[in-house]
Amino acid sequence: MRPLLNFNNKNIIVAGVGGIGQATVLELASMGANIIMIDANEQALNETIFKLGQGKHSTHICDFSKVDTIEPLIKNIVKESGAIDAFVYCVGIGAVRPLKLSKYEFMRTVMDINFFSFIEMIRCISLKGNYNPKETNIVGISAIGAFLGNSTKTAYCASKGAMNAAVRCLAKELAPKNIRINTVAPGVTDTPMARASEDYGSESEEYKSILQRQYLGICSPNDITNAVVFLLSNMSNKITGSCLSVDGGKLSS
Amino acid sequence: MTNEEKIAILEEMLELENGTLSEATELLAIEEYDSMAKLSLIVTSDEEFGKKLSGEQIRTFKTVGDILSFWG
Repeated sequence: MRPLLNFNNKNIIVAGVGGIGQATVLELASMGANIIMIDANEQALNETIFKLGQGKHSTHICDFSKVDTIEPLIKNIVKESGAIDAFVYCVGIGAVRPLKLSKYEFMRTVMDINFFSFIEMIRCISLKGNYNPKETNIVGISAIGAFLGNSTKTAYCASKGAMNAAVRCLAKELAPKNIRINTVAPGVTDTPMARASEDYGSESEEYKSILQRQYLGICSPNDITNAVVFLLSNMSNKITGSCLSVDGGKLSS
Repeated sequence: MTNEEKIAILEEMLELENGTLSEATELLAIEEYDSMAKLSLIVTSDEEFGKKLSGEQIRTFKTVGDILSFWG
């Protein structure tokens, strides 16, 4: 194992254990990390920890639409597992709806889950005693939708753009604490969320044209995980406040 | 909910004047029934009637009445 990719006994929180999250959990655990998994879906947590087998891993249920439940959760996690070395936020809802049905309550729910809970997690983890003062790394899963105009995806794309903008600010603010923070922006990735989106019949034509533009093909969850692992590792020591696109070339087409 | 009330929801969704639609209206004859409207139909079915609607099911709808029946 390359020493720069050593996560032995690192406490890593992975929030969201769906497609990309689960692939990230499995990869980091295979490199020796202790994984603290958080998800709203108990079944997804059980399935993931079952796949992990042995190891110092734990699961916690959290409804990310309830931002105020995060602070006590992080306190508990730190009490149980010790300071956090890394955090990956893979939580997100891929809400698709026309503007006329995108009322405030809907917009706020998407922002709560995709953005505000991300920031709240970082706020709580970056409190003294909760993170490793020598080195802590954070990665959020954004989306290339943050850079594109996607009809009917206003809430989703705005939430992902907000992540990228916030990360640039937080990188500066948290650098004195030796915390690096970045985002990864996946293109179309083969996950349950993408398949649900494709099921919207009216989306199909648009979906096909997106795939044409993603000329290296659909990403697998592991393609995204590789970028996450890189950003969590010492190989990216001088990278912070950035957004790494893993989009099969889509942004360049 | 009566069929009249359901039709009113559809008319509002499609931004049509009240009284434009009837159960017999064929969906293909409604200019406003485009891909965006179908997406609105998915959201409305879920939020107002608690029914999940797939793209495949939408393709089976021929008339306004088919949508009303799906809403139940």
